Amino acid sequence: MTFLKMTLFVLLFPCIMGSAEHKFYVSITKIEYVAESESLQIIAQFFIDDIEEVLRKRYRSDVSLGTTKETEEDRALLKKYILQKLKISVNGRPVTLDYLGIEYDIDMVKSYIEVSGIETLNTMEIEFKALTEIFAEQQNIIHFKSSKNRKSLILDVDNPNGVLNFN
Amino acid sequence: MKLLKYMSLLALLLATGFTYAQEEVSEERKPGHLNENRFKQLYEEFSTPNMYRSASGAPGPEYYQQQADYVMDIVLDDENAKINGFETITYTNNSPDNLEYLWVQLDQNKREKDSKSPLIEPSGTQPATMASSFVGEYMGTSFDGGFKIEAVTTVKGAPLEYTINQTMMRVEMPQGLKPGEKFSFSVKWWYYIPEHTVDRARSGYETFEDGNRGYVIAQFFPRMAVYSDVEGWQNSQFWGRDEFALPFGDYEVNITVPSDHVLDGTGVLVNRKEVFTKEMMNRYNSAKKAYDKPVIIVTQEEAENASKGFSTVSKTWKLKAENVRDFGFATSRRYIWDMMSVKIGAKDVMAVSMYPPEGNPLWEDYSTIVVASTLKSYSRMSFDYPYHKAISVHAKNQGMEYPMICWNYGRPNEDGTYSERTKYGMMSVIIHEVGHNYFPMIVNSDERQWTWMDEGLNTFVQYVAEQDFGEWYPDAIAPNKAYPSRRGPARKIVSYMAGDQNRMAPIMTKGLNTYNFGANAYSKPATGLNILRETIMGRDLFDYAFRTYSQRWMFKHPTPEDFFRTMEDASAVDLDWFWRSWFYSTEYTDIGIKEVKTFYVTSKMSKEIRQMMEQRGMKESDLPALVYLIDEDSEDFEESMRTSTLDDVPTLQSYIMDNVPANERANLKNPRFFYEITFEKPGGIPMPIIAEYTYSDGSTKRVTYPAEIWRKNDASVGKVVASEMEITKIMVDPDEETADIDTSNNSWPKRKKLGDFNKFKQNVKGQ
Repeated sequence: MTFLKMTLFVLLFPCIMGSAEHKFYVSITKIEYVAESESLQIIAQFFIDDIEEVLRKRYRSDVSLGTTKETEEDRALLKKYILQKLKISVNGRPVTLDYLGIEYDIDMVKSYIEVSGIETLNTMEIEFKALTEIFAEQQNIIHFKSSKNRKSLILDVDNPNGVLNFN
Repeated sequence: MKLLKYMSLLALLLATGFTYAQEEVSEERKPGHLNENRFKQLYEEFSTPNMYRSASGAPGPEYYQQQADYVMDIVLDDENAKINGFETITYTNNSPDNLEYLWVQLDQNKREKDSKSPLIEPSGTQPATMASSFVGEYMGTSFDGGFKIEAVTTVKGAPLEYTINQTMMRVEMPQGLKPGEKFSFSVKWWYYIPEHTVDRARSGYETFEDGNRGYVIAQFFPRMAVYSDVEGWQNSQFWGRDEFALPFGDYEVNITVPSDHVLDGTGVLVNRKEVFTKEMMNRYNSAKKAYDKPVIIVTQEEAENASKGFSTVSKTWKLKAENVRDFGFATSRRYIWDMMSVKIGAKDVMAVSMYPPEGNPLWEDYSTIVVASTLKSYSRMSFDYPYHKAISVHAKNQGMEYPMICWNYGRPNEDGTYSERTKYGMMSVIIHEVGHNYFPMIVNSDERQWTWMDEGLNTFVQYVAEQDFGEWYPDAIAPNKAYPSRRGPARKIVSYMAGDQNRMAPIMTKGLNTYNFGANAYSKPATGLNILRETIMGRDLFDYAFRTYSQRWMFKHPTPEDFFRTMEDASAVDLDWFWRSWFYSTEYTDIGIKEVKTFYVTSKMSKEIRQMMEQRGMKESDLPALVYLIDEDSEDFEESMRTSTLDDVPTLQSYIMDNVPANERANLKNPRFFYEITFEKPGGIPMPIIAEYTYSDGSTKRVTYPAEIWRKNDASVGKVVASEMEITKIMVDPDEETADIDTSNNSWPKRKKLGDFNKFKQNVKGQ
């Protein structure tokens, strides 16, 4: 019920920004194409409390991240959630994400993901729906970098996917 | 005659690089250009100083500001979550202009059913939508918010004509308001209070699990707009993001709430004896003498007992405030209340917290001491806190500021445990919102136009205050050694600065029109000021200038230029280049080392010079004593040069014997290694070059070349370093102070830096 209520209100008031120092609902995902290793190196960063909140709402109310109470299962839920929300296609074909693990940095959690076997990179389609189901103003910012390009995308509830063209 | 000949030859030698380059230039003449220098002064961006605002950045001799005084009777209807008000505004026209009408702000109208705010937000269709979303988006009826204006009248009750345009109301006066005149009028209104936990408004109520409400009330009365020499009427609409522009004035506010509520707000509580119990009064008196830890005025047990009832009798709290730009209050029967004194200058200020039991134990442990610590830090950085109290109220998800009072988030779990993140989130938001008392409540900039002027400056001082707090209360932040600040250090802004230029706006942009609001209006300006303080100006010059700005503009309305001008005026540091690139553009920093050439000294003429001499029919004997620098990679280089010293250069030795007195010869430096370093600047911002040289014995030396080194060549610049010891490593910006977005070119010899990703991968594999 809480979840439904939240979603309803969140959509009713899509534009109300919060207040002064307030929590910005943002995640930052850095994707780097490394031609030598034919791989995409992905670091997705979230505020721990945001991602914890969504895991609690979806799976179990006692999910705890980066604390002494954190369990293996909590980490597994995080992995499950991220892999469910992040979809990448390269040159028109979906690719497999290899989730390497996570690291905590004060109030952020960074998850490391690798995609290998990318010989050429012509286009990349990214869908990232993290946290938009509970925070209407959630922005998932993608910074792409290769030796030739730097590009960014801002994905949100209305535009959860974007395409980067490299030709 | 002979001397002239030498001179021209020397000039030729010095200019060889230039001569060769010229030969390659095509014959077509380049067109001329305007002054494109990054160090050009900001005459075009800044308006011309005038009698209102001086070129120094101080208020001018004719500076004026309007005054709006309010007398209000407010009644809270707790049962229906409604608020009723009757207010009389006395508006004083201190401007030299005749005013034909007045503009009043109706911020609650942003939540009207027919508000235009949702209409400016782009949206897209979804192939599949949750039923609830669909209902909300396309079928639902929304909350009946917005001001219901019942009457706008003269003080005698005669109706005044008015026109409402969204969140702005134009009021017609019987006749125009001449300079120096006052006009009083009354407004009767009411509105339904929004539940801020669901619509994320800056004020409203929260419903606790026991059904009681906690009200944090602001933007609750029709408020005068600002009329100034810069904007005329600042009546840009409140779309929900850009905050407020408000004139100063005096307030007398009577607030009637259920008798079992406690209440605190902007201003002095003038009828404390009527509304406090005897017990509360005693505790309050001991709080006045408590400087170390807060005294509880209303205990958790008392708050929980009060929460069981619902009084139908009411009680009126009377508050009086002088020279404030706004008014806010918080009230509930479920609030715990504590207070503690803090010495600011010669004065005692009361640090206050109000929080529901839901906030404990976090709030009773930290809120009030954080308030007190914040006041000390900000007073040091700007001016002594002029008000008599500062209140931190706990409201879920809120972080919002008003004069003397603010709402802050940071809620523990239901079992009372909380994470480090909740704790530091709470401490940081309290520091931030209490800090807003200074910017913009006292240094009253126009938030509707320039978000960064209060958020950026405040976030900057917040960083200083956080670090202070960590130092003053080491136990509160243990096991951390320093307070874990999220914003301030230069390296924390890099990912934003390196982002997509299509999705970036200069800081000097109205907040509503920016992309990444938090980074644009909070982090970037705060980081810029931190870079000025730590790297470009130094703490002494920066702090003096920042205090000058704060004191010049306390209780006044500054503009960005007043800030920029004062920072230069008080420090003698020309910062136009910094303002231009950091505030007026989306440029980024990227400085690196392009090339390092090693040279050795010899008195043997090099091939290149010999050829030039031959072309001109000159002999070596025509020249005065010369010393030659030989590039390690050139044909003239001989291995023996590596170990030779200046003693092996006869021309130099004979010059020294002839010109330097014997007793001074020992003091001469004896450099053997000569490096021509080419620094490059792919980034637009001309930052100082902070170069760290590492010598063969492991010692290091740091040299900072001021940003002005880039003034004649924006792309690259050479520097020769003469050294007695071999230089083994050079690093630019070793402490990451300049927000350099690409550090792969920051070191020589080029080091393959293991990126974050590969580092992590290696660790994972190692495990």
